[in-house]
Amino acid sequence: MTQQRFLRSARITAASLAVGALLLTGCAANQGTTGATGGSSESALLTIPREDMGTFVQNFNPFAPTVNPMVQQAIYESLLIFNPVKGDTTPWLATEWQAADDGKSITFTLRDGVKWSDGKPLVADDVAYTFDLQKKIKGGFEYLETVTADGANKVTFSFNKPWSPALYDLGQLTILPKHIWSALADPGKDANAKPVGTGPYTEVDSFQAQSFVLKKNPNYWQPEKQKIAGIKMLAFAGNDGANLAAANGDVDWAPQYMPNIEKTFISKDKEHRQYWFPATGATINWQLNTTKAPFNDVDVRKALSMAVDRDQVTKIGMSGYAKPADCTGLSGNYETWKNKEVQDNCDWTKLDVDAAGKLLDKAGYAMGADGKRTLKDGKPFEFKISVGASSSDWLSVANVISQNLAEIGVTAKVDSPDWASVVAGYETGDFDSGIVWSANDPSPYKYFNNAMGTASVKPVGTKTFDNYHRFGDAKADALLAEFAVGADETKQRDIANKLQERYNDVAPLVPLFSGPVWGAFNDTRFTGWPTEENPYATLSDRAPTTVLVLTSLEPRK
Amino acid sequence: MRFILRRLGFYLIAFWVSITLNFLLPRFMPGDPVSRMFARTQDRMQPEQIEHLRKLLGVDDRPLWEQYVGYLHNMLTGQMGVSISRFPAPVTEVIGSQVGWTLLLGGTALVIAAVVGNLLGILAAWRRGGAVDSALPPLLIFIGSFPYFWLAMGALYLFGVTLGWFPIRHAFSDTIEPSFSWAFVSDVGMHLVLPALTIVLVSIGGWMLGMRNTMIATNAEDYITMAEAKGLRPGRIMFRYAARNAMLPSVTAFGMSLGFVVGGAMLTEVVFAYPGVGYQLLAAVQGLDYPLMQGLFLTITAAVLLANFLVDILYVRLDPRVRSN
Repeated sequence: MTQQRFLRSARITAASLAVGALLLTGCAANQGTTGATGGSSESALLTIPREDMGTFVQNFNPFAPTVNPMVQQAIYESLLIFNPVKGDTTPWLATEWQAADDGKSITFTLRDGVKWSDGKPLVADDVAYTFDLQKKIKGGFEYLETVTADGANKVTFSFNKPWSPALYDLGQLTILPKHIWSALADPGKDANAKPVGTGPYTEVDSFQAQSFVLKKNPNYWQPEKQKIAGIKMLAFAGNDGANLAAANGDVDWAPQYMPNIEKTFISKDKEHRQYWFPATGATINWQLNTTKAPFNDVDVRKALSMAVDRDQVTKIGMSGYAKPADCTGLSGNYETWKNKEVQDNCDWTKLDVDAAGKLLDKAGYAMGADGKRTLKDGKPFEFKISVGASSSDWLSVANVISQNLAEIGVTAKVDSPDWASVVAGYETGDFDSGIVWSANDPSPYKYFNNAMGTASVKPVGTKTFDNYHRFGDAKADALLAEFAVGADETKQRDIANKLQERYNDVAPLVPLFSGPVWGAFNDTRFTGWPTEENPYATLSDRAPTTVLVLTSLEPRK
Repeated sequence: MRFILRRLGFYLIAFWVSITLNFLLPRFMPGDPVSRMFARTQDRMQPEQIEHLRKLLGVDDRPLWEQYVGYLHNMLTGQMGVSISRFPAPVTEVIGSQVGWTLLLGGTALVIAAVVGNLLGILAAWRRGGAVDSALPPLLIFIGSFPYFWLAMGALYLFGVTLGWFPIRHAFSDTIEPSFSWAFVSDVGMHLVLPALTIVLVSIGGWMLGMRNTMIATNAEDYITMAEAKGLRPGRIMFRYAARNAMLPSVTAFGMSLGFVVGGAMLTEVVFAYPGVGYQLLAAVQGLDYPLMQGLFLTITAAVLLANFLVDILYVRLDPRVRSN
């Protein structure tokens, strides 16, 4: 997940240092036998570190932007769950859904027999109320006109325009109980210290600033799947502490970044430990500010892209854990959507220094006698790559790119102030180029809309929060509008294919690699983890699929 | 009494200046908290939600002076608002639930380092060229110049992971409920050993050297020679005559350090996953969490000023020369 990007990457340096220290002091220590502290495995708590919260505050309000761990995974549940690795959808609080033929509404049918943890039944009114509250407090869902409960178990969402991306948008919002939340004076600011939810683990127990426990929901709708006694979250102010806990065998799940994981984690107990980093995160892009010359020239964008050695970028910047991007720009999250033809005939995301040079020559950016290229106005071909100073991994990415470009006579300087000023530059359009992550949704709509939809293009000086590179394309707009109507899946896939062709033609930005989703586990105490062979979910503990993991694990007998 | 009132007035002005700086500094940092937060959660939030978020978090867009008046009012009435990075927890709750651990850790380490360091300094100066004087200072300075992170990780790995003598994380075991029982207190004590020890190790050299050097100067004073000539017991001369006079710089340093205890143990908290406000301050700065930053700065400022005020009063007792002007 790219969420908490700043803090996480700030810690990668620290984590690497820490692991370096561990390696130096010798790794011969305890062979993961200390794992089973805390009684028999039947009553053991599933222990998970949280690496970006030094301490916890007893606040289980899902509207909080930096929400406590497990609030949206173990306490509240959504109507459906999309699994990006397999590309399939599991009905959850809803058993089925039907989109209207005109694409302007969807009706969900709720599951029978679902109860809140206080024993009251889940009804359609809860769903309608949740969306009203969400719109009131956090906004978004601009396309959503009304939400109407039809009896106890049907709820209809009506839109002000045909809008197919809505299904996952609506389906993955966690549902709150109306009878609790409507009684609160200020639901946006309530600490919700004793949450009532439909999830498998809702009961807050022994809350401390450094750890807390969630115990079984006594009224869960699939009690046969609550096989673990409870979840214990531990607070860490950085990856290093969390990694040490994982290496030491004190935690069951390690969903944080670990440098050199084979050596620091796996090698201590090969039988019980595994990791799996599927490339279903967001695509990491190198965005070129297309309001500036020469980045407004598609040949330049493609030539620069061809000069980038993506294998080197992922190896040096991402420890080899990431997967290089291709000409569709889509990350591993959209494997089923990819246009095979575009992929097979891909040229501008493959390393080819000669072709890059020729393309620049042809476009009129000639190489001088000193081995440096000049722009059309005679100025040197020079620009900056802006990356936040704390993200050591992305800094290496930028440095590799800078070295790669030197080979084609282009000078790219890495500029690394604090993230705040980097992002401020992105937002106002006052930057040359930068390393940016993209939207990551079940449907590829948002990715292409942010990459090349004109609606999100703002003039330089006006703040924008997506499409920092400020590229818009009328043809893409038409396709996007058609895609949004949805209705028929074959047709939608056809449009997605055309969008990828268009993307391939105009190269709105330079895709670098698919971000990996970190995850490792130690099955000494619990079995049933998702793996590459059984990818029923990712190993993230912050994804919508996390509840699938929580309801699949069982104590080792 | 007039002296104390005058100092009090000085501290009030210093307090006003520092809370004004606390107000201004975060606002001169580039970016604003909401777009900061948005950039962090890029794949989860829609751009249309930014306005709502701004409203929800209560991010101010009033003119600066209006914000300032409101801010002063809030500070005087003790309202620090709601933290942005830990929304919707009130700042007082975020700080309140953690500051105790920071004080415990920083306070313990400071007292041990200052007391032991000063005693060693006194001993070293009294027996110049002896074992303590020749071996300890270079050793302590050597340890003190280690990067703290490195030292802490090393101690953690050696004594925590490999030897298993001490717990490797948190302020107390996750399996024990806080209470005033011997079991809990000893558990807290065990958890305190490694983090406090590493802070003591890196800071003790400074205390020892400072004390040693002023003691050497004092030992050359005429009144020491006079005391020796009178045939007083060496212990009495060492503590009552020499150390008491040599202690003044150390008292000042102790007062200053006392204030910085509140914000100073960040790396320790990160390495030992110790719950505390040090790491919270870093997170607040990175997230441009104005209210939490202001709350923490205010706490630190107040602690520094209070500690200095106490040192001032103590000084009057220790050094009669201060009283006369």
